[in-house]
Amino acid sequence: MTDKDTGTGLLEAAPASSPPPQRTGRFEVRNLGEVLALLGLVAVFAALNPATFLSPENLRTILDQASLPLIIGVGATLVILTGSIDLSVEGVMGAAGMTFVLLTANSRGSADLGPWAIVAGIAVGVCLGLLSGLVHTRLKVPSFIVTLGVWFVGLGIATVLFGDQAIPFLPDGGIKAWPSTLTVGLPNSFLLAAAFVLAGLFVARFTRLGRFTYAIGDSEEISKGNGIPVLRYKLYVFVVAGACSAAGGVLAALKLGAGSATVGIGTLFLTIAAVVIGGTSLGGGKGGILRTAIGVLMLTVLNNGLILSGISPNIQSAVSGTVLIAAVLVATWPHRSRLRIVK
Amino acid sequence: MSKKALLEQPAALPATADGKAAPARRRPRNLWFTFGPFAVFLALFALVAVLRPAFLTGGGMAILAVQAATILLVALGQAMVLHVGSIDLSNAAIVIFAAIVLAQTLGPLGVLAPVVTLAVVALIGAANGFFVAFGQIPSFALTLGTLGILQAASLVISNATTVYATANGQLLAPLFGTALVGLPMAFWVGVVLAVGLWAFLRFTRAGEGMTAVGLNETGALFSGLRTRWFKVVAFALSGLLAGVAGMLVIAQAGAASSFGLGSDLLLPGIAAAIVGGTAITGGITNPINIVFGALTVALVPIGAAAVGVTPQAQSLVYGLVIIAAVALTMGRGHNEVVK
Amino acid sequence: MTNASLAPRTGVDTPALKLTDISKSFGSTHAVKNVSLEVPRHEVVGLIGENGAGKSTLLKILTGLYQPDSGVIEADGRRVKFRRPQDAVAAGIGVVHQEQSLLSNLSVAENIAMNAMSSKDAATRYGFYRWKRLNQEAADILDRVGSTIDPRTKVSDLSFVDRQMVEIARALRVDEAIHAAPLVILDEPTSVLERNETAILEREIRSLREIGSVLFVSHRLDEVLRICDRVVVMRHGEVVADVRREEVTEEDLFRLMIGQESRARVRKGGSAVGAVAAIEAKGLGRKGQFKDVSFAVSPGRSLAIVGAMGSGRESVCRAVFGAEPVDSGALVVAGRPVQGWSMRRAVQHGLAYIPSERKVEGMVGGLSAAENLTLVHPREAAKGPLLRRKARMKAAEEWFEKLDVRPRDPSLPLGRFSGGNQQKVVMAKWLRAAELSVLILDHPLRGLDPGASQTVNDQIRAAQDDGAAVILLPDTLEEALEMADEIIVMRDGDITARFDLSVDSPTSLDLLEKMV
Repeated sequence: MTDKDTGTGLLEAAPASSPPPQRTGRFEVRNLGEVLALLGLVAVFAALNPATFLSPENLRTILDQASLPLIIGVGATLVILTGSIDLSVEGVMGAAGMTFVLLTANSRGSADLGPWAIVAGIAVGVCLGLLSGLVHTRLKVPSFIVTLGVWFVGLGIATVLFGDQAIPFLPDGGIKAWPSTLTVGLPNSFLLAAAFVLAGLFVARFTRLGRFTYAIGDSEEISKGNGIPVLRYKLYVFVVAGACSAAGGVLAALKLGAGSATVGIGTLFLTIAAVVIGGTSLGGGKGGILRTAIGVLMLTVLNNGLILSGISPNIQSAVSGTVLIAAVLVATWPHRSRLRIVK
Repeated sequence: MSKKALLEQPAALPATADGKAAPARRRPRNLWFTFGPFAVFLALFALVAVLRPAFLTGGGMAILAVQAATILLVALGQAMVLHVGSIDLSNAAIVIFAAIVLAQTLGPLGVLAPVVTLAVVALIGAANGFFVAFGQIPSFALTLGTLGILQAASLVISNATTVYATANGQLLAPLFGTALVGLPMAFWVGVVLAVGLWAFLRFTRAGEGMTAVGLNETGALFSGLRTRWFKVVAFALSGLLAGVAGMLVIAQAGAASSFGLGSDLLLPGIAAAIVGGTAITGGITNPINIVFGALTVALVPIGAAAVGVTPQAQSLVYGLVIIAAVALTMGRGHNEVVK
Repeated sequence: MTNASLAPRTGVDTPALKLTDISKSFGSTHAVKNVSLEVPRHEVVGLIGENGAGKSTLLKILTGLYQPDSGVIEADGRRVKFRRPQDAVAAGIGVVHQEQSLLSNLSVAENIAMNAMSSKDAATRYGFYRWKRLNQEAADILDRVGSTIDPRTKVSDLSFVDRQMVEIARALRVDEAIHAAPLVILDEPTSVLERNETAILEREIRSLREIGSVLFVSHRLDEVLRICDRVVVMRHGEVVADVRREEVTEEDLFRLMIGQESRARVRKGGSAVGAVAAIEAKGLGRKGQFKDVSFAVSPGRSLAIVGAMGSGRESVCRAVFGAEPVDSGALVVAGRPVQGWSMRRAVQHGLAYIPSERKVEGMVGGLSAAENLTLVHPREAAKGPLLRRKARMKAAEEWFEKLDVRPRDPSLPLGRFSGGNQQKVVMAKWLRAAELSVLILDHPLRGLDPGASQTVNDQIRAAQDDGAAVILLPDTLEEALEMADEIIVMRDGDITARFDLSVDSPTSLDLLEKMV
């Protein structure tokens, strides 16, 4: 038989985008890149401030400071993996933190439900996440707007709960001390964060929620075609993010030692920057919780190191901002092309 | 796309020789789209007026316009960026930066101070646009970064304190000093700019080019349009309008600081743009409607207070109203993937 | 020439699939007319036909996406009615489409298990993944189809041929419920594969016969004859032949498919005025796409570039227009070499490009037809930076009349028009140019009904008469022979033949020979 192709259908146009198979190796090298950057930062600051930077006290401080964004980062990463965004973090933190403080032993004496206060706080986060998720999936409002609104709703709830009475303080020597207490030499706050990160990694690897999150982020159409209930899982993801934000709020309230609606201020910027620096794509489908964790550590180390080096706190956000832009630049530079559309 | 095209065969399509398109129904949706933001504002306003007639008589509209003025400017700038499909998270930081720069230069430079300030922030905006368009860096990440840089810059040049406009303040006084139809000039400046932008989008080739970029950047690119420069222009406009908002801050407060007036305009700006009917995906923007969007967004806290909502619950109401207003006014494709 | 190992098995009488008098019409078009065919067990049946022959509609009927107007479908001897895709799956019919249906972020094992996710699947019970089990089950299925892919691999790391294998494995999985022979439908599985990869796939498909039956849809006749036991030929919605492979040659199949051979229309001696070529390509090369491509087109002449998938011809056209970069070579426009080429500069030099991806690249669907029309060359529709809306509408209405665009309302968004009418507007957009020097068309008639096709072809000829040089990538060889003054044949990135139709008179077979 001659090796001939015949048939007029032959002249069909080539598929517009044939994806080149990616080498596994390249992915790992990039992952390694972030870890190396982190180690590099540590090395630099260790060199600049040998006595203070590497002291056990300072390292514990770093871990403690990283704990909040790590917890929030777990939920935020999942949302971003699906291609959406959750801006409500600070509002949920405020609402959950306030709920928690008011339901546990506090200076106002409003209630004392003991550990149930924590459950209540988390429940608030779950409800707010549910709200975001439902409005986004049912009413088709972009996640940006919904979570923006829920941010205010959360702040509002916190403020309403606060009322017009005195600040509710947590009693000294009670659970207030828990986050900074050391267990196995590490602050409890960090251990909690580590637990969250591990749980997050478990979800990402071993549960349908995690796997479908990646699928949805890759392509909602193909996911739907494969029978994945896309809307339902997007909803779950928002609920999980709400729970994580709530947990962060409770932790923040403990650290603050009081109930405050603005307990979460600044967390959003930090968390999103960490996610981006860690290498999770804002478009969804690529990245992961481990990457975010590395991003968080990088930013925390950076901030800590800068303070120790005596750099004015004023320029901290500039440094974070520059690192963020640099990280994205490095990540996207190899993909530059004439026809690439970046919004 | 191509995969589908490969599968579909011409004969299999419902072929009608005269190639009729889908019936051209002027759906009621189009009407809503044009008047929706106005309707929403009117409804809210009416609600407040009915529940609290004192609002109308006590100069409520004027107060509303004062609040709405800066929001409007920021929203217009944001809308330009949204129009080409991107987002500018740094424009509120530009407002503060501009205000601080203006406060510091008003004394030495006098009349030139606003000009210099506007030039500087327009360049900053253009730089944003340059990195997004030519550097191919996603706007969310880039402007998040420049937000941080600008916040730091503001802190540094103001030494983390409040900077007062000590001299030549009278240059800007008319903005809030004089009124037209009972509303401050500052507000009307915003309205004029809105109309100007509306005309730009509707009557100029560049405006249409930007619309094409927002609707389908690839299609615009293949039509030989200067898509990247359009994006730079959009961001430059955002910076410029943020600069004007900065001028308003000085005119109103006589001072600027990183934490004072105008430091929290980002979210209201975005909300006002979207309540004003701007599509978050790009290509659909009506600057005149954004005037009503800004008025609505400014009205919520004022209205809530007037109606008797406790100050504590205002945030709550604000968030809910924003969600509701957007759900009502935004344009949605049928089976589009919403992220 | 019978290869004994490929002879069908004996002993199983009930065909895996039997269609009797299946018909389906859309309006007045008969997409499928009285089609009867059988796919016996443990056989590979090839289905061939041109674009528009009805293959695609037939497949959609077999997979439950369309309901036939009349006729009977029997799967494994039982009459079935497919109301939804799930019904086809339940009847043991799995299909592997051309388009990507794998989740590239997930592993092979996950993708294979995906359809069965909802059932009582031990590997993912209670929502938790038991990887070991999942991987083992996937490995089992991959073994069945003779593949050695590691089920833990992420799909995005797989080559195309491996992805096809995973899709096939997945399609086979659908049959777990019934233990009869499943039918796997392969829709153009080799279209995205390189030559060497198809050999691998062919081997796999042959081994599928052990497990079930295969319906193999392809346009590569040599492959069809190599792999299939029987070949069914469709033309204009009907089955025109149902033969065993030993009974036919490729040429027979080709003739059955198209009805007759086409011969080039005799051209008048070239209308080239001996002037400077409107566009000249000198040794253009782009890594991975094409190399050393040179040609010249004079004003008023047309050049058709034909080639199979992977020939690189689309890439060449896009590079000429500035949409894609080149690594080597030069482009000369109107006698002057160009520097720093981009689409914008190409347009400034009078080039035009009608892309095959109309919706994404050819137009801005959200803008009105009138706005699209004047997007590139406003001319009277703009005065300096300002738009002149009335003038624009008037121009649009004129073009709508001229090209018979329906409905006659240029203020409607272009996305709302039918494909044919959209293409007319897209053409008009470029033809409006004050000076159109080069018109590049990438599969311009794809998806168009005959009426629109006629209009488009007329416009191409008119542009040529006006002095434009035309570079055309046709859908069919007939188009090339009909429209072009010169034909270049490409294969795997190289030019393999040139024909000047004012002196040569190639047939479609002559072209085909050089395409493969």
